[in-house]
Amino acid sequence: MTEAELSLEKLLFNLSTLAELGEEITSPKDFTRVVKSALYMVMGSFSSSKGAIFQFDGDRGSFEPIASKGLGDIGGVRLKIGANATGELVKYKEPLDLSSNAYPVTLLGTAREELRKLDARMLSCLTVKDELLGFIAINGKFSGEPFTQYDHQLLSVMSQHISFSLHSHSLLMKLMHKYTENKNLYDNLRRIYYDTIHAFAAAIDAKDSYTRGHSHRVSAYSAVLAREMGWNNDEVEGIRIAGLLHDIGKIAVDKTIINKASPLTSYECRELNSHPVIGYEILSKIKFPWKGIPMMTRNHHEKVDGSGYPDRLKKGDIPIGARIMALVDAFDAMTTDRPYRPRLSFKEAMDEVKDNWNKQFDPDVVYPFISVIKKEVRREVDNPTIVPLLQEQLDSVTLNRFFEGFPRA
Amino acid sequence: MVKRYNNFKEVGDTVVLYPDNYINDIEGEKLEELCTSYLERGFKKVVIDFSETDLINSIGVSVLIGMIEKVRDRKGNILFSGLKQVNYDVFSIVGLTKHIMIFETEEDAIGGNEKAAGAVTTA
Ligand SMILES: [Fe+2]
Repeated sequence: MTEAELSLEKLLFNLSTLAELGEEITSPKDFTRVVKSALYMVMGSFSSSKGAIFQFDGDRGSFEPIASKGLGDIGGVRLKIGANATGELVKYKEPLDLSSNAYPVTLLGTAREELRKLDARMLSCLTVKDELLGFIAINGKFSGEPFTQYDHQLLSVMSQHISFSLHSHSLLMKLMHKYTENKNLYDNLRRIYYDTIHAFAAAIDAKDSYTRGHSHRVSAYSAVLAREMGWNNDEVEGIRIAGLLHDIGKIAVDKTIINKASPLTSYECRELNSHPVIGYEILSKIKFPWKGIPMMTRNHHEKVDGSGYPDRLKKGDIPIGARIMALVDAFDAMTTDRPYRPRLSFKEAMDEVKDNWNKQFDPDVVYPFISVIKKEVRREVDNPTIVPLLQEQLDSVTLNRFFEGFPRA
Repeated sequence: MVKRYNNFKEVGDTVVLYPDNYINDIEGEKLEELCTSYLERGFKKVVIDFSETDLINSIGVSVLIGMIEKVRDRKGNILFSGLKQVNYDVFSIVGLTKHIMIFETEEDAIGGNEKAAGAVTTA
């Protein structure tokens, strides 16, 4: 993924298409309409003028078009693919470039000729588990530009969304629409949603050579801390997503500023500090199934004494989720290497937290953070999250000594 | 009141089409059908004026590409006008701006004044 392709506008356009696609396929609309809309979204994203979605028809043993655009009447087209080839194709999660003469495109056999007649250039398999449900085929871009690695990823995420729509529809058709299956399906959909957001988080972190994995750690730490503070599952999922996206505004900040080792000029500082507001503007345009994500992003650099940015809010006015993220964001920044300094030890980082007690950090958040770290070190929790991500070993004796000097609740 | 793709203006062998304020679902195909019916009646030039259009999503892009292809198949000419910055950005993301003449106003597009091409409506 190069910088040029990942402009803020493009990212936002693709992200909102994915959100719309997710919404569309879970909507109670007529299936034909849903599939058609999904195809149009794919085609619009890649500026394709011709495209079709095929679905496997068990009775006929072939793949049949269920939606098409720009191809006239293709109702009679059937793609016949042998069982062995189908079994192989299912393994390819990446879209296939039909201009290639190499494996796995050769698996398509005679179907390849049919697709060629339709001018198809990219073919994406629609699979659920190990079942090949269908295909999406689109022609080359209207603009004549090549398909990039980013395009491949986008097409494959969109294909996953559509696969589940086909799957749930065929389940319905087979009257196997039981509660448990529905629930699994919902879980799968949610997983795809996460995969998508994770892909974007990776794009954010990629911009900053020193913060690989920062978004993921902020996400994981925030979720653990929120759970410790008694949040319910839904709220925890919300802050998990917010953590992944909290720095999305950095997409708009010049890479050289983000990676600069020397002190920033006041202009550069203003640029960098604009990222929470830009992030808020991006995320407030997206309909999330969880509450508060845009505001948590906006206020993750506020300080409880009112000296933070962008809104200079004081403790009670800062959303609690943003106060959680402010702590874990700073904690992760301190415990990992930065362009301008090596990482601090856990003790040094906690000393910083102590020094900024009730100034930058909210005691209501710091206490549960300490207690969850203690629980993890004492192995009182099943899945420790924070401690394994730290780059040092902690034992409970030393830990207790660290926290002795902390102000009492 | 939302306009339903029945807004058009005929000027010689040119037709100006005015899309809805949103082109964001498959209802947008009605615009494509309207365009096709004009081409069948022998119109050679299609101007799409987006002054009233606030939002074009990926579905809208695919509808518009469909129209462009149809017009070009018949050796006609298709021009855009009245694009707001946000819509221009969308067209630019998907690479349409390099392939379509864009005019600031529908009058410029009808007149085919090439000097005015490439403009975004700032109003
Ligand atoms: Fe940040």
